[in-house]
Amino acid sequence: MILELRDVSKVWTIERTRERIVALESIELDVTSGEFLILLGPSGCGKSTLLQIIAGLEAASAGTLRFPDVDRASSRKRTSMVFQEYALFPWRTVLENVVFGPEVRNVPRATREAEARRLIDLVNLRGFERRYPHELSGGMRQRVALARALANDPEILLFDEPLAALDAQTRRILQEELVRIWQETKKTFIYVTHSLEEAVLLGSRIVVMTARPGQIKQIVDVRLDRPRHLTGRKEAELLDLVDGLLRDEVKRALATTDAAVLS
Amino acid sequence: MSTVAGSLATRRTWGPPRWLVVNGRKAISVVAILAVWQLLVLAGRVNPLFLPAPASVLAAMWDMIRSGQLPWAVLVSVNRIVQGFVYGAVIGIALGLLAGAIRWVDDVLDPWVAAIYPIPKSALFPLFLLWFGLGDTSKIATISVGVLFLVLLNTVTGVKSINPLLVKAARDLGATRAQVFVKVILPGALPNIFTGLRLGAGMALILVFVTEIEATKAGLGFLVWEGFQLLDTTRVFVGVVTFGILGIVSTWALQWMERACCPWGRR
Repeated sequence: MILELRDVSKVWTIERTRERIVALESIELDVTSGEFLILLGPSGCGKSTLLQIIAGLEAASAGTLRFPDVDRASSRKRTSMVFQEYALFPWRTVLENVVFGPEVRNVPRATREAEARRLIDLVNLRGFERRYPHELSGGMRQRVALARALANDPEILLFDEPLAALDAQTRRILQEELVRIWQETKKTFIYVTHSLEEAVLLGSRIVVMTARPGQIKQIVDVRLDRPRHLTGRKEAELLDLVDGLLRDEVKRALATTDAAVLS
Repeated sequence: MSTVAGSLATRRTWGPPRWLVVNGRKAISVVAILAVWQLLVLAGRVNPLFLPAPASVLAAMWDMIRSGQLPWAVLVSVNRIVQGFVYGAVIGIALGLLAGAIRWVDDVLDPWVAAIYPIPKSALFPLFLLWFGLGDTSKIATISVGVLFLVLLNTVTGVKSINPLLVKAARDLGATRAQVFVKVILPGALPNIFTGLRLGAGMALILVFVTEIEATKAGLGFLVWEGFQLLDTTRVFVGVVTFGILGIVSTWALQWMERACCPWGRR
């Protein structure tokens, strides 16, 4: 066990209308070390909020979050986030972006740059160290973001719909590479997506969430060999199963949105 | 402009290279206008009291350089410009970064910026004369204030235009508040800071002239104004041309600095 969430809730208040929005309700979740955990749910179900809470970028309104296994004395950071919009620093080259984490933790220059070059190799970007982000394609930017997140050597990598902005071919290639990097680094991945196919292709466990207020509807263990193919028989069965779980929630999410628009 | 024209024009397969044509036209434009002007004066069609011939302006300029009068005037003015610009820019950048990043600083500064910014800074000069006397200080203060507000407002805009996701990413990677300030806010605001500096440089040139009209016996502004009072139009022209050269040099210097500071180019 690497992370325990107990009864975690998040409530937003819209200041203008004093309206309270329950984004997350009573989330109970145990994350196992080394798993590829998918958070799957309709838009607005609070899955990104949950990721931000795990990252420490948002505070939970109630409940607790524990990292039971992590050595308290270790200077290692527990989590690092890969954002959908890459969030690369435009004034830093690829190399300078990747070293950012170690740099702010005052790791000596030679050490951090050697490590950064190793990670740039890992994400297949050798030769692009001196490029600026605007000189790279979307897929390459997301590789940089991944290398930057890995540079802090976190226990857990958090992904917030990282491939949603990419074209289908690039997404397919990066999905395969993510699996490879997950296998090579043996780190824990927590991966938010609204794509059913992505969940089935990547996850070792799929947490299906309900429409707002976000709760855990069901957790599906995935026992499929890799590499996976969406056309495979077992994959198709799993797609059907998860699709059934998700479909009602997407409908409910749409219904509440429509109601909100109409009222 | 030139690239658009180049792509629309029929492509020629012979003739001189493009850069030669472009620069040739520019050179011909300058030489032709100056020649016509010179000829009109020589032909007695234009009164040199209003429009002295280019050759006499150049000759007067050379004399004034040799006599040391022009270099001294430039030195005095540049000293005022540079001091005023640097003080104004440093304070403007510092306050702008703080106001952009810290809410209460913004709130405290806002009414003062709103009140002082619209005032023509030349209108503050009499006040500074009263406070700081006839010396350089009153002029430097006027220039500083003019530069300060332009740099301040552009810096605030720069800080506020930074994508909040970048701050989030920096925090997620372990940056402290101070590190976010130095490694995200400052570089993120830099392109807008340079916009402020460019506008500030123009303002500094305007204000150095205005403040040198009165209450001084030195400087480029004084040189121009004295020329006017003596009806020595040639000297006025020498001063105006020198102001133009200062403007070009300051633009180049800032462009060079911007390229050195913001090598990541377009955003």
